[in-house]
Amino acid sequence: MSIIDILVTIIIVTILVTIVLAVITYIAYKLRLARRPSAAEQPHEPRYFDLHSPPRADEVDSLSVGAADA
Amino acid sequence: MRERTIGLSILVTLVFVALTGGFIFWAIRSPDQVQHFLIRMVVVMLIIFLSILFIRYFALLWFGYLQHSESGFTEGDEVTELPPVSIIVPAFNEENVIDRAIESLLGMDYPTFEVLVVDDGSTDRTLELAQQWEGVGGDVEIRALTQRNGGKARALNAGIRQARHPFVLCMDADSWMEPQTLRAAMRHFSDPNVGAVAGNVKVENRDGILTRLQALEYIEGLNMPRRAQGFIGAVNIVPGPVGIFRKSALEEVGGYDTDTFAEDADLTLKLVTTGWKILYEDQAITWTAAPAGVLDLIQQRYRWTRGLLQAVGKRKKVLLQPVPDFPLWVSVLEMAFEAILWPAMNVFAHLFFAIVALLFGMGELLLYWWILLTILDLVIALVTVAMEEEDLGLVPYALIYRFFFILFLDVVKTFAALEEFLKLGMSWEKVRRVTYQPADSGG
Repeated sequence: MSIIDILVTIIIVTILVTIVLAVITYIAYKLRLARRPSAAEQPHEPRYFDLHSPPRADEVDSLSVGAADA
Repeated sequence: MRERTIGLSILVTLVFVALTGGFIFWAIRSPDQVQHFLIRMVVVMLIIFLSILFIRYFALLWFGYLQHSESGFTEGDEVTELPPVSIIVPAFNEENVIDRAIESLLGMDYPTFEVLVVDDGSTDRTLELAQQWEGVGGDVEIRALTQRNGGKARALNAGIRQARHPFVLCMDADSWMEPQTLRAAMRHFSDPNVGAVAGNVKVENRDGILTRLQALEYIEGLNMPRRAQGFIGAVNIVPGPVGIFRKSALEEVGGYDTDTFAEDADLTLKLVTTGWKILYEDQAITWTAAPAGVLDLIQQRYRWTRGLLQAVGKRKKVLLQPVPDFPLWVSVLEMAFEAILWPAMNVFAHLFFAIVALLFGMGELLLYWWILLTILDLVIALVTVAMEEEDLGLVPYALIYRFFFILFLDVVKTFAALEEFLKLGMSWEKVRRVTYQPADSGG
């Protein structure tokens, strides 16, 4: 096999492999997009529960007044 | 109109089917003649492809050289007119880079300017960090504004509305500027017909093959055409990371539109439409972080391609009307050529020549083609890198630039263009970038 044949083989393989690689990577990119939750689905607040402390005795009255007003 | 289109489509299909059928019949009857015909066709196509490539490259190089020799600027140059400028920095979730961007602006060698950071509803500490700079800039007033998340174009428009000075510099929060940028760019506005000046964007994170190839691409593939377009005063994209505008020109065209994913290209075409000259200044330098991952690079180029086609699509009637607005026609045509025609031609040509070489044993021709293009790429890389006084270490990357990097990107651009023609939905995905700390970040 002459040096020209080797170089030609390298060029052809590089071209074909690059095109195939680009197509595969593009598909991977689209898959990544598809798997990512859209902006509308993304939670705007933390998913975790907030720590809840029971209101103090003096706050209970004001809360119940507020609720009654509402 | 619809019936005419359907009729035309049927006619084209019939002609195509008839030609294909005739060709197959001919191939069966006289295979030797077909082989000769194909070989001739390959040679003709090769000559056409190479001619377009050579004409494009030499035109760009020549006009680029003329622009370079005519508009040289050195830091010691006296610039008599230095009007005040408002610098607008739109930012969405940029807590890693916002401080560096503002810090670089405070080091700007320019007498009067203000900085407006427009936070686009970030969910991180971007606004908080920007607000910490308020009142600490000495003579430079720094203001941090915030708005509900509405996209970069809306943030830029908000900044333009709040700008107090007659000139506006728009930049990206993930970029940083060199001190001479404003001084070098503002001298062009002594010509009252100049509406905008495009700056020189450079890649700062050059720590891998992919980012070094992008650094070369920015110099050879993006800045060289911009330089050539600048010579005739018709730059067709004032880049997002560094664009300086006359505020009255922006107000005349109504600022940025929000209906494309390439708001910078769209705005530039609007300015060209209204007759403003748009120049290029290679000393208005901004450094930006290029995507380091392959998927992030694809994401960026996908958005660029579809955005450019959207900007072209808004003006598709112009493509068929070279007069009366010739500069606009050239700009739109060139944008369409760079966004889809050239990438698609490049992919097709590579694939076609590789297959033909395999099928007809024309490998030697392919080798000469490769050698010719590689020499051309090396020469162009050398010239453009030297013109920008850049790192000569980038030049050897020209060896894999066309047959790997550009071919790879052109496949992606072709897919993106197909999706745009099919009007498939897309969303603005923020490109992930690593925080890059250059060794000489002070300069």
